[in-house]
Amino acid sequence: MLQIYCPYCQELREETEFSYSGEAHIARPLEPQQLTDAQWADYLFFRTNPRGIHHEMWYHASGCRRYFNATRNTQTYEIYETYPLGQQPALTCDIGGKR
Amino acid sequence: MIKCHSETIRTPLCDAVLAITSDTNAGIYMRENTFGHLNLRGNPTDKAFLSSIETVLALNLPLIPCSSVRSDVFSVYWLGPSDWLLMVPIGTESQVAADLRDSLMGQHSAVVDISSAQALVNLSGVKLPELLQKAIVYDCDPTHLPVGKVVQTTFAKTGVTLCRCEDGSIDLIICRSFSDYFTLWLRDASAEYGLAVVDACLSRPKVSAQT
Ligand SMILES: [Zn+2]
Repeated sequence: MLQIYCPYCQELREETEFSYSGEAHIARPLEPQQLTDAQWADYLFFRTNPRGIHHEMWYHASGCRRYFNATRNTQTYEIYETYPLGQQPALTCDIGGKR
Repeated sequence: MIKCHSETIRTPLCDAVLAITSDTNAGIYMRENTFGHLNLRGNPTDKAFLSSIETVLALNLPLIPCSSVRSDVFSVYWLGPSDWLLMVPIGTESQVAADLRDSLMGQHSAVVDISSAQALVNLSGVKLPELLQKAIVYDCDPTHLPVGKVVQTTFAKTGVTLCRCEDGSIDLIICRSFSDYFTLWLRDASAEYGLAVVDACLSRPKVSAQT
């Protein structure tokens, strides 16, 4: 079981308190009506799915009920950092990770 | 057999506790404490919001994560960075909510009476640590969950808000709609220790000042 540090509760909690919410830092297009179908589909459905470092959202469902971001290694499950929404990750590259 | 006083135990917990056999040497004691529950939302970096609350409650909102503050009348639990639970004497929740809304007029905030959604159960007894270990993955040792600390986590498969009281007992706030599940689970888990139900206590919260 993972232990995840919630940046709002400011302590480590068990993974069962959280739920995974997909890739982070995906900006919604400001004018969706201007996009082609391919661009819209890319925004809606296509994710990077990297092997290695990944920035993703987690939800502290049983705790403070806030979303936050995590930088996690998809190969080892190691979580390098968690940080509030609106902030940028401190760690952005990985040996062997494609990003 | 413990007699269940329906005037004081108000939630569906009442049905579930009727069958519990009294045991003077019970390892676990359970008591429902009834309060009015108000949920407060607002911006903690907004001084106007904080002072509006303080005007009504004569308390500063707890801004430290997982902390609580208490006065003779009110208890306030930190639930999130813009989210608090206010516990008020039963019967005063409508008036306190109205006073808060008056004070917060025009501000980006919310006061919601959630008294009918939640129940507060106090658990104590010499077997409390063992019982909590069965239900809660969070480390409830007094060094990790000291007096006044508030933790939202899971109790078996439902959510719970925990707060350690001054006397070492623990307040658990659960959804009322889960009180049947909660009590059945509690009865099963405490069968080996003995479970006694204590009459509801209508006094103020025993939560101490924040740590
Ligand atoms: Zn949290």
